[in-house]
Amino acid sequence: MTFVSLQFLVFFMVVTLWFFRLQNQRARVWLLLVASCYFYMSFIPVYILILGGTIVVDYFAGIQIERSGGSARKMWLILSIIANIGALAIFKYYNFFIDNIHTGAHFFGRPLALPLLRMALPIGLSFHTFQALSYTIEVYRKNQPAERDFVTYALYVMFYPQLVAGPIERPQNVLPQLKEFRAYNWDNVKEGLARMLWGFFKKAVIADRLAMAVERTFGHTSETSSAALLLGAMLYSFQIYCDFSGYSDIALGAAKVMNIRLMENFRQPYLARNLGDFWTRWHISLSSWFRDYLYIPLGGNRRGAWRRRLNVVIVFLLSGLWHGANWTFIIWGMLHGLFVLALAGLGKEALAPRRGLLSVLKISGNFLLVTFLWIFFRAENLHAAFVYIRSIFSLRGGANYISLNPAELAFAAVMIALMMVRECKRPGHFIVRDSLFWTYTIFMVVVCYYLGVFAENQFIYFQF
Amino acid sequence: MKRFLSYFFIVFGLAVLWMSTSRTAMQFVATHRDSEKWWGGYPCLHGDLVSLSYLDIVKRFNPPPDNTESPRPPWSGPRTTRLYLHGDSYTYHLPDSVFAGLDQLVLIDRNHGINYHLDSTKRNILLLEVSERYLRPYFSGLQMLDEVCDSAVKKKNLAFWATADNMYSASIFPGFHVDDLFNKYINQNLQCNLFNYNFIMPMFESKAALNYYVFNRASGDVVISKDRNFLFLKETVSLTDAGSSYSPVPPDDVTKLVNNFNAIYRHYRKSGFAEVYLSVIPNSATIMQPQGYNNLIPLVQNDPRLEMKIIDVYNAFRQSPKVLYQPGDTHWNNSGKAVWVALVNETICKSK
Repeated sequence: MTFVSLQFLVFFMVVTLWFFRLQNQRARVWLLLVASCYFYMSFIPVYILILGGTIVVDYFAGIQIERSGGSARKMWLILSIIANIGALAIFKYYNFFIDNIHTGAHFFGRPLALPLLRMALPIGLSFHTFQALSYTIEVYRKNQPAERDFVTYALYVMFYPQLVAGPIERPQNVLPQLKEFRAYNWDNVKEGLARMLWGFFKKAVIADRLAMAVERTFGHTSETSSAALLLGAMLYSFQIYCDFSGYSDIALGAAKVMNIRLMENFRQPYLARNLGDFWTRWHISLSSWFRDYLYIPLGGNRRGAWRRRLNVVIVFLLSGLWHGANWTFIIWGMLHGLFVLALAGLGKEALAPRRGLLSVLKISGNFLLVTFLWIFFRAENLHAAFVYIRSIFSLRGGANYISLNPAELAFAAVMIALMMVRECKRPGHFIVRDSLFWTYTIFMVVVCYYLGVFAENQFIYFQF
Repeated sequence: MKRFLSYFFIVFGLAVLWMSTSRTAMQFVATHRDSEKWWGGYPCLHGDLVSLSYLDIVKRFNPPPDNTESPRPPWSGPRTTRLYLHGDSYTYHLPDSVFAGLDQLVLIDRNHGINYHLDSTKRNILLLEVSERYLRPYFSGLQMLDEVCDSAVKKKNLAFWATADNMYSASIFPGFHVDDLFNKYINQNLQCNLFNYNFIMPMFESKAALNYYVFNRASGDVVISKDRNFLFLKETVSLTDAGSSYSPVPPDDVTKLVNNFNAIYRHYRKSGFAEVYLSVIPNSATIMQPQGYNNLIPLVQNDPRLEMKIIDVYNAFRQSPKVLYQPGDTHWNNSGKAVWVALVNETICKSK
């Protein structure tokens, strides 16, 4: 059940209205848990067993961590980490690992035929395993008491707005909100719905429109001109932003309607002036997860310059691997790490006033660098990525057709500009006056319907 | 009032979700809505793709008059051939009379499997007609093969962890399947139940017109051909769909198809059929926009390992000077149908 579907709209209406009809929090938690199970099972039902398995392990591990002391405490944490990372390793990385063994064995003239796992990747596996891990780690660090109520804990992991593509939440933020009964609040409903509409707009009107051009350029690289390929790569930058941040807007909006505040995931990332700055604005819940649970425990910047550099590369490498079991993601993450280090000197003035030509140049330069790196992220494999990049730099002619006619391309550019300006000048979504809210709602529904591209495209980040 | 409204919308939402999930309910709706003019579907007669894209206003896609009739073959000999035609929408409404020397034409609906009792006094021929877009999705998988493989193979193929699709329909307990609760087509069903009414159509048409006249493209699952004279189903021209004329065909896919066709061929020959033929109807994009074609049909038909006999529609269509497809439809026009019927007749007569 993708957010941009009739099924989700009806589902959301029923769950939200029912939620507010219930007058005790226990019943609301049960309702949300059942709804979340239905939501998750609507993708591939049987995968709920994997999710359920890790929930059970982490629930008991959390209690045991709190109860135990000394090495037993650590053992329970390790068990939780093994269960979660193990699920990831089996269902997400096993085939990648075996494929590489096959390639290596073939290279050395000793072909192998190890069995492969013939199943699709469970939706959102990386998101909910990381969210579950943050719980046991926080319990271990004594920042969060272990949750005794299984239903509440299960809902913390499975809360449907953020179940399959984040934000990757922290227990300190969500668990208290799930326990507290909060009365219906019209202001929150307005803000949440307005934000959801903004997310629908970004996904249906911009991202899915740009997807047509991006599919064309990445699918027909050999016959497309350099200029069109460069344009395709730049459009992909906006596609992935509108797709993922659109998803986050819908998720945060849907939660807000029910009085639950989730953490922000984006803060105008394409206005960043260097890569370090970019990572404080892009997929914030993931980058802060890696910072809190990997970079700092590895020593952060406390163990000298070389160790800091190594830590940065490790974090970005794993961040790349987190995105997918493919060398393209690993190289993408590693390049980000290397560029962050190489350009670290340029980041000193990140907090300086954001005006002037120099600032514009830095923002543009950073955008081009991020766009260049997205090519690895989007390409089917490393070979395709290198062909794409080489084709851009060959400055060759060829077909300029990118699936969008000039009118639609111009329209897309205007929509992107409007989106950027709006998010920069007015990042909030709360509309005070009811009449203005209803006008905005009707306007956005009409815009999304008439200008939206409804091709049942999944959100890009669902695959992770 | 607010309370009443919220309960009303909860009940309404649950009802419409249930209705769109339940196959029985949707079958009831489909049967009864067709007979109701005021709330029926899109009343377009100019092709399924015109209907799907709401582009009835664009006269370019209206089919030109085509009075070609399938030739009625002169036949003086005994009518001893019984043709079992396992086909799809291309051949659903074909009359017996267009075929030469038939005792009887038995049309087999793909969705209901092949159930047959062969009359040994007749010459029984099985013709598998499949449109190109179903070739890989249908014959690469197990659906057809299930009927012909022995239980050991079947068991191996249907292993619980074999594919996500199998898991999707895994049985929880006897008589109840998970996909009874999670209908894959729920969004299409919801659209049908909530919006497919005559009085809402102007809204769909205005969006389609905006897309066509301003952005130069069709809506949703339909794509306009490069010469702008045809509509194609999106899945037949995408670079990723198995039913597409342009998605890559790995050698493994061809091998799998050939092996499956061989298994099917041997099974039905052993079951008593005098001959088993395969006839693949090319996607309209394959013939009308051949640049970049993935050569799926020739790769399968010309594979030396293939045992099944072929009725070669692909080459006949390619060489025909006539336009053989309707501009706004996935199917052939009367001329296309006539070419196919002539090929089938030639094959039946030759093999007597």
